[in-house]
Order: sequence, then structure tokens, then C-alpha cells
Amino acid sequence: MTEALPIVEMRDISIEFPGVKALDGVDFRLFQGEVHALMGENGAGKSTLIKALTGVYRIDGGSIVVAGQERQFNGTADAQHAGISTVYQEVNLVTNLTIGENVMLGHEVRGTFGVNWKATHAAATEALARLGLGHLDTHKPLSTLSIAMQQLVAISRAMAIKAKVLILDEPTSSLDAAEVEGLFRVMRTLRDEGVAILFVSHFLDQVYAISDRITILRNGRYEGEYLARELDRHALISTMIGKDLNVLSSLGGNRRVEERDYAAEEPLLAAKGIGRRGSIEPTDLDIHPGEVVGFAGLLGSGRTELARLLYGADRLDEGSITLRGEHVDIKNPGDGLGRRIAFSTENRRDEGIIGDLTIRENMILAVQAERGWARPMSRKEQDEIVDRYVSALNVRPADPNRLIKNLSGGNQQKVLLGRWLATKPDLLILDEPTRGIDVGAKAEIQEAVARLAEDGVSVVFISSELEEVVRLSERIVVLKDHQKIGEIVNGPDVTAQQVVDVIAAHGVDAAARSGIIDAEDDAHPTASTDDGQLPELTEEHS
Amino acid sequence: MSVQRRFTKFLGLAAVGAISIGLAACSSGGGSAEAGDDDLTTVGFVAVGPEGAWREANEKNIQETFTKDAGFDLKYAPATNLDQKSQIDAFTSFVDEGVDVILLSATEASGWEDSLSRAQEAEIPVILLDRGIEPDDTSLYVTRIAPDNVEVAKEVGAWAVETFPDGGNYITLEGPAGVGVVNERNEGWDASVDGSKLVEVAAQTANWSAEEGKSVTETLLKANGNDIQLIFAQNDEMGLGAAQAVEEAGLKPGVDVKIATIDGTAAAMEALANGQLSYVHEYNPLFGETALDVVEKTLAGDSVESYIIVPSEAFDSPEAAQAVLADRKY
Amino acid sequence: MSTAARSTWLHDLVRKPFFWGVVAIIALLLLNVMKDPTYLAISVNPDNGNLVGNLVDILRASAPILMIAVGMSLVIATGGIDLSVGSVMAVSGAVAMVFMKDAGQSGSLGVALGAIGLALAVSAVLGVVNGVLVAYIGLQPFISTLIMMLAGRGIAKVITEGQNTSATNDPFRWLANGFVVGLPVVFLLALAIVGLVGLVVRRSALGLMIEAIGINPKASRMAGIRPSGLLLTVYVLSAVLAGIAGIMSVGTVMTVDVSRTGYQMELDAILAVVIGGTSLSGGKFSIGGAVVGALLIATLDKTVVFLGVSSSATPAFKAIVIVVLCLLQSDRVRGWFVQRRKPPKERPVPNAVAAREEVSA
Repeated sequence: MTEALPIVEMRDISIEFPGVKALDGVDFRLFQGEVHALMGENGAGKSTLIKALTGVYRIDGGSIVVAGQERQFNGTADAQHAGISTVYQEVNLVTNLTIGENVMLGHEVRGTFGVNWKATHAAATEALARLGLGHLDTHKPLSTLSIAMQQLVAISRAMAIKAKVLILDEPTSSLDAAEVEGLFRVMRTLRDEGVAILFVSHFLDQVYAISDRITILRNGRYEGEYLARELDRHALISTMIGKDLNVLSSLGGNRRVEERDYAAEEPLLAAKGIGRRGSIEPTDLDIHPGEVVGFAGLLGSGRTELARLLYGADRLDEGSITLRGEHVDIKNPGDGLGRRIAFSTENRRDEGIIGDLTIRENMILAVQAERGWARPMSRKEQDEIVDRYVSALNVRPADPNRLIKNLSGGNQQKVLLGRWLATKPDLLILDEPTRGIDVGAKAEIQEAVARLAEDGVSVVFISSELEEVVRLSERIVVLKDHQKIGEIVNGPDVTAQQVVDVIAAHGVDAAARSGIIDAEDDAHPTASTDDGQLPELTEEHS
Repeated sequence: MSVQRRFTKFLGLAAVGAISIGLAACSSGGGSAEAGDDDLTTVGFVAVGPEGAWREANEKNIQETFTKDAGFDLKYAPATNLDQKSQIDAFTSFVDEGVDVILLSATEASGWEDSLSRAQEAEIPVILLDRGIEPDDTSLYVTRIAPDNVEVAKEVGAWAVETFPDGGNYITLEGPAGVGVVNERNEGWDASVDGSKLVEVAAQTANWSAEEGKSVTETLLKANGNDIQLIFAQNDEMGLGAAQAVEEAGLKPGVDVKIATIDGTAAAMEALANGQLSYVHEYNPLFGETALDVVEKTLAGDSVESYIIVPSEAFDSPEAAQAVLADRKY
Repeated sequence: MSTAARSTWLHDLVRKPFFWGVVAIIALLLLNVMKDPTYLAISVNPDNGNLVGNLVDILRASAPILMIAVGMSLVIATGGIDLSVGSVMAVSGAVAMVFMKDAGQSGSLGVALGAIGLALAVSAVLGVVNGVLVAYIGLQPFISTLIMMLAGRGIAKVITEGQNTSATNDPFRWLANGFVVGLPVVFLLALAIVGLVGLVVRRSALGLMIEAIGINPKASRMAGIRPSGLLLTVYVLSAVLAGIAGIMSVGTVMTVDVSRTGYQMELDAILAVVIGGTSLSGGKFSIGGAVVGALLIATLDKTVVFLGVSSSATPAFKAIVIVVLCLLQSDRVRGWFVQRRKPPKERPVPNAVAAREEVSA
């Protein structure tokens, strides 16, 4: 690490919103050739600090020095001119333009007669090649790429304009493990070329895997700057949430290992051969009362698709569902809700919150929808629900008349959880309930799940974080490539690694069977260690 | 899948639409198709189609005049949605078919030169009904048969000047701004009224509508402290609306405020008969007979005037209205 | 502190969705007063005790616009649009007039009620067609209601056989022209209906669900709302309100003019809704705003005539008023407005990012 002059130095930055000090005397340094993680809970001021740097917000106090010069930018475009590029969580690209056009947008190579497209595409290819993406056809529309590839294209775009500083705000939240690895490879390449990278992520593992240095914020204040290798996780988390880890470690005890006689007990829900063309192959699934069933699998494995069928978010093409011993036809979410099934989506922004409605309205919506519009809930009934779940789930701010869109992701998630709990479901399906939210909120949600199961509610828990699935679930359904490939009954010996092994082993088998040899399988580093014991694994589709 | 489903649904809708259009076509044009007799004179009528009561009376009258009994096979081709292109298409196919005579009520005045030249080359005489063409090249058609807006409005103006020798305040209720008819009716009125003692205190559009006629009059009466003696409504509907506004303002139509209108529909005649209107000038839509006469003359090789004005009657008393009310056709 | 309090007070007031609508009404009335100082005077007709005056005329003229604007605001809140309201007015008017004409000149209350009932029933059927096309077939609201807009006038022509049809019936006429305790019946009726709709929408959960669908249809479905029934309800409601507007409209002159009754009224309704602060992209709606919008349009129509703006300049005059109004409502321009009223040293309001960009640009 070079201890030369920092390329970005922010000193004593303050930003005030009415009634709130969003940033209060924050220091931040960024050196060339380092990956610097900015850590903190939701609302700690990470985004505000980035916006202060790029000039989206004006600072009320302090100074920003970039490459030795005091600067105050007028917005991202201005910052970009000075070599500071930002890639946001939601990719800011034009999906119906081609890949090449996106990379070069606004920097097209100009010839005598307007844009020289040939040269432009050549330059785009070159920029992509720097990140190991030289094989992409720059003439194809961006929309043909996965979100992860789009993210890489966004970075290429940032690099095409010779950025000296690259800001990555939650770039990994919608990527799966292989894609994250690909991104990290690119980040390392850029770092080695001397680019300074500011990285924001909620995934601690990723932060430790890639960062050289960590700055921690809490409640808009600077808590300290550390070398990543010198800061242990315990200390990091404690510093972020400002209290010690008792809350978190107690979660380890949430794993429920209950001796069930699955054959004798009547399941709450029994699905026979349910499937839907193009999204999930015919699948059998039983869910027992008070059971937490984890769905494990990569993004796109069919875990979400299967859950959607149970709720009626999508209609099933084949198979049947028996609920409490009765055959049911669940045609739409309203039907699912009426049968005491609730589904919390992974797509919080598009399918979860109603942004312009208040916390109160969002929370009572499902109960009200079930009743129909002609039977409104009295104010008192509303208050009961809202008061109960706002305090039980610790929603902040606790003002039910705030618009939900102004809440942090974690608190939005808690409001949605409240919405579903208010319907008193027998089966609660939670799809990625903890994604993109801070450690504190995550713990609170996990706790809520464990409590629910104790009260007899069945829970389907879906998460990309296998640790979390293993910690909470009684039984783990493993999915891959749109099919259920196995079930693991949880026990004290089961680890996330073993789940990964099941997924990886199945993939290797399948590839071998079909004669495809996946040469570049370094994305699954565990695939080669094929010795994981699979406790009580029932292979279904072998 | 959903795209396909929507598409089939859309096809279904389109089919329903097509059927209903087909039905309409049958009901209007079905009669002319079966004519085979060679001794009938074939007349192609490029018409305006559904536009309003006046137009309906006009075109019905033509259809009822050129009957098989009278020796004609009339092919009625109304424009779709007042679209000139559909008229030009109909016109061209009449020329190709080789009809004996073409009657044309053009929806738009300009853009007819090519079509008319083609008819001339095919030696098919063209007679314009009601609407003229621009530029008005009289060599391209035989004659234009129409009532004269300017003349009609001039007569209304003359009545007004005569009725108010000592002058008075009047308001004008116009059709939509910029329409040819409105300009012509204004021109005729002004020709008579300019220089008289009558004072125009306001001229507003009421879009040919009774409801707006009433609303505009109501406001104009208030704006002028009810000091208005005459209302010139450029069509019957607006005049009828104005009469109600006058009554509601506590004034007596025909006594405190006199109302003059143009068109002469049955409703206006009724209002004239019971004193709500004071003067109605017909704008005569019934010129089937005149057209028949012209067609026969033309086919016989006789020459006709290049502009034949259809006479329109004026009605200035309840008695006069009462006399014609019984057999008013429109 | 007191300056801060005052500036938030001003800020709040300016941010009320229909604030500028009210300002515009006042400005137009002032314009009329400048022409004629007695414009606002209201006198009592000694014969029957009815109130007489320009303001009364405006209230009367606003009644049909109020009806369709309220219906339209609900439709727009769901993220749709109803272009057919003008045509439905014509159909409803045509049905009522033809019914009364065929019933002979009896002029009884029974005939009037029959005419109203039948007209509203037919309107409701047209609303059902709109609703089914949108909610169950899945056509875009713009297209579905455009079809009905074109078909509606055709239906009205078929009903009246293409003729402008008049009828005589005193109870029916009274609805549009009569007075109760000195006030026009038609306005009181409109107010009562708006009040009723407002009450139903806000007291039941209809309003909440309509807004939810309008803001985020996907999330609403996932929350268990069944949008089809709601959409159908809203389109039927809009059509029935348009039917009432049609009755009010033909009732004033007891004539239906199939090509003019309700002509382009859908545009007035949309304008009223927009002026009232409801976004065309759906979501939050304000019935109070729609009322202000409808009153503004009626005031504008009357002002144009009262001031004697020439016929050819009328559309331009109206357009200018509405453009200015929409400008004042836009967040950006409003941002400016708030900005200008702050001491230059003060920092811009942090959540008005648009305003900040405006300034820095």
C-alpha cells in the first residue's frame, strides 16, 4: 500500500438536513491502488458521504481535496470530469441501446461526419477487454446481458472515461457468488492499475475478501479507519452497531432441531408435482405446521419461482396443492392470502412497497385487501396493527404517517413483514427478507422468524446467504436449474458448506452426464472438493 | 403467450367492427347494386355522409329524387369520417366505372383539380352540390347548385335593420371560428347592417350548440345589464338556446329581445310559431328537383348556368311558420 | 425562528395541490371585476326568491364538469384514463330525450325519473364495457375508452336517428334550471353527489386501494388486492357520473345535440383533474382538487365570454391560463418560487434536489 498523498481527502464533512445532521464531522481518505470499504448500518451516512463527494449534495462544513486541489463538484457529471465515476446499485444504463453505445455514451469517437461507429465500437471493445470482457459483442443490446454483466459494463463505462476514482455503491446485492467473484477479479485488476476504489456493501464476507482498508460510520459520525486485515469481524460489527454482539450471537441458538416424524404428521401444505413451464420443473414439497423450511440455491435456481407458485403470484401449469388436507386452487395472490398464506417478495421496490403510501397504509394493506374495499378497517383496528408491529419489529422512524419510500431498506422490509404478520398467516414465505439491510435489522428479522415458528406458523425462508438459511431452517430444500435437487434435514452437523457441496456436486454430475465440461468453473471453488458429507440427503432428480 | 392472447382478442374486436361497418354499408348502399337495366341513367353521388340534420335532409332528398322510377340508378358514396381521401377514391372509381353523371358534395374545397380533369377526359359531367371547390375553376365542372350563405345572411341583416330603425344593441352567436360558413354568414350580415344604427356589443362562438348558445347568452346579458334588443344566431340551435337564456333572465323573447336565426329546421319553425324566435331564414337543403333538372339538361346537351342558387325562404311571423310547420321535412 | 416558521407555512400553502387553482379562480374573478365592478354582485329575484348573478351562473355551469372530473380523478388515480366521458354524456342525454319524447308530452315526474333511470342504466352498461376491456381483457385504458369515445357518438346517433331531439318535461327541466332555497338545483345536486362519492371513497377502503393500484400495480397485486373488480367499479362509476353530467347538460336546453353534447368534455375533465393536483401517472388523488379544477374551468369559460375575448382568440386565452397554471404547479418552478423567497445566504432545502440542480445549473 502506498502511503503517498491520498487522491481524495475529505475532512470534517458536515451535511445538515432539516432536523437531522446527516453527516457530522466525517473524515475520509482514499488512496490510489486501494479498495476502501465504507461500512455502516443503513442510515449511517454512507450514501450521503458519496453524494457529498460527487457534488449531488452540497456540504455545510469541511473540505474536499481531490488530487491536491480543493474541489466542490456540481453533480456526478462534474465529478466524472475530474475522474470520479460512480456505479450505483441500480445500474444506470440504457438497456435498449447496444453494449458498445452504453460503454461509450457521451464519449463516442467522432469523425468528420458525426460519430465514427466503427471506432467507437472498437474503443468499447478495448475498454471491455481491460476487464476481461473482450468477448462481448458490442453490437448486441445491453438488455441481452444479465444484471451482473450489466454491472460490469457500467464499470467498463466508468473506466472508458479514464476514471481515477471508482465508487461502487452496493454493486453485489443482486449478484450470485460466481458473479461476485467475477466482479472482484475486475476490481483487483483495476486496483493493480492504480485506480482508487470506494466500495460499499452489506456483505461482510465480501468486504473482507476485497478490501484493503475500512472506514466505519455510525449515525452520521466517523468511527474510525482501519486496515482490513487488522480489524476482526467482531470489532467491525460492534463498531457499526455501537453495541456488543450478544444480540447477534444469541441468534446462533435459533436453530430448531426438533424430532419430527414426517411420515406420521399431516403436513400443512402438500404440493404434488407442481410446476410452471420455463420457471420451475414439477416439484413435490411438504410443509409442516410450525416448521421453518429453507430454500437454498443460487439466484435463478427456481427458489423464488417455487415460492411464487405456493402463493398464487404465478399460476401453476401442472400438479396440485393440498392445504390442511383439502385440495385448493390458488389462482392469484388474493387467493393465497385468503388461505392464510403470505408472501414477502425479494423485489421489495417493485413488488413490495407502495412507495407513495404511508407506513400505516402499507402495513394494513394486505388485511384490508382480504376484507375487500367495502369493509374498511376502523382507525382503532388500524392503530392496533400498526402500533403492534411498529414496536415489535422496531420500525424506525416510528411515525406511521411517514411515506414508506423515505424509509431505509431495512425499515421498509420490517413494515412489509408487519403487513404479512398482520394477516395472521399459517404459512409465511419470506424471499430474501434480509437482503441489502443492515446487521441490526437483519438480526431483528431473523429473531422474528424464529419466534413465529415457535408460535406454530410455518415459514419458508429463502436467502442467498446460506449461513442464514442453515441457522434458521429445520429442513432445507435445495434447488438448482429450476428443479429441486434434494432436501436436507437440518441438524447440529449441517453447515452451509455442505449445502454448497450438494449444489456443486449436482452441477458436476449433470454436466458430466450431458457431456459438457465446464472448464472455467473457478466460480465454484468448492466444486472440486467433492467430499462433503450430505447428511440425510434424499436425491430426487438423479 | 399473453401477447398472442391479446392479439386474438384484438382480432375479435376488429372483426366485430368490420361486421358493423359492413352492415352499415349494406343498409345505405345495398339498393343500387342490383340495378342492371341499361335504360337507367347511372349517377354517382360523392356525398358528405352523416354530419347533421341539414346534411341528412339534403342527401336524403337527393336519394329520394334520383329514383329508379324517375329513370336513375343512384350510387351513394358517403365519405368515411368526413375524410376527403375517401371521397377522392369514390370519385375515381365512379370515373373508372364510367357512370353517366357525378354529383359531388366536397368535404374540403381544395385538391380536386386532378380528379375533375380525369372526369373531363372521360367525358363525365360533374355537378357540385352545396359545397364549392377552390380554386373555383368553372371549366372543370358543369355547375354548382347551392343556397347562398352570404345572400341569406344579407336578408337577415336587412330584416334587422328594418325592424330596428332606431337602432339597438345586438349580439352575434357564431359557429366555430374560422369555418367557411361562419365567414360567409358574417359577411352577408355585415353587408346589410354596417352603416345602420344597430350596435354589435359582442360576438362569441357557441359552436352551433343550443347548450352553449344558452350559456353564452346568459353571460352576455349579464355583462351588458340585459341591455340587448337583438340576437343574431348563425344557426337555429344556438338561437333556441339563446331564447331560453333570455327567458331565464326575466326578459320576453320576441318583445324585449328579438332573435333571428338561419337554417329553418322544424324545431326553429315551432319556436317561431310560438313567438320565441322572431325571424328564421331557411337555408334550403332540398334541391333534389333542381339537381334532377340540371342533370337532364346536361345529358341532353343543353347549357346551364355555372352557379345555380337554390332559393331559400324567409319566415318573419308566427303565422308564416305555422303555415309550413305541418309538412316541414327537416 | 419566526421567519423559519413563516417560511414553512408559506411552503406548505404553496405545496397544497390545488393552491394555484384557487389562486387562478380568484385572479379570473378579479379580472371580471376590473371590467365590471358589479360582477360579483348577487341579487335576489323578487318574483321567486332565486339568487341571480354571475357567480350563480358559474356554479351552474360547473355542475356537469364536476361530475366527470370526479369520475376522471378516480380513473386517473388507478393509472388509467377515460376518454369516453363526453360520448357517454351524449348517449345518456340522447336516451333521456328520446325516452321523454316517446312518452309524449305528459311531463310527469314519473317520465322524468324513468328517463333518468334508463339514461344512467345505459351509461353504466357503457362503463361496464370500458371496465371489462381494461380490467379483464387487458387492453390499455387509452385504447379501450378511445373505442368507446368513437362508438358512443355513433350509439347516440342511432338512438336519436341522427336528429337533435327535444322534449318537454318540467321535472326534468327543473333539475338543470330550477332553484332550491335560492340556489341552483343542479349545483346542489352536483355537490351532494361529489360529497357522496368522496365519502364512499375515503370512508371505505376504495380510495386506498385505488391509490395503491395506481402507485404500484404489481405490489398491490402481491398484497392481495384483486385489481379487476376495482377497475371495473371505477370505470362504471366514471360512466355513471358522466351519465349524470349528460342529463344535467341536456336538461338546460331540453335538447340533445348528438354531435355537440359533451363534445370534448373529456379534455375539460382531464384538465380539471390535473389542475386539482392529481398526477396523470396515477396514484394519489384529490377529489377536493378536482372540484377546484372544475370550478376553474367553468370560471374560465364564463370569463372568456364576459370579457368579450374574440372567438378566434378564445382557445389561445384558455391555453395560456392553463399552461401558466401547470407551470406554477410543476415541482421545478415551485422550487424556484420557494427558493426566491429565501434569503440568498440560506442553504437550499435539502430534499428539493430538483430545485438545487436548477439553481446550480
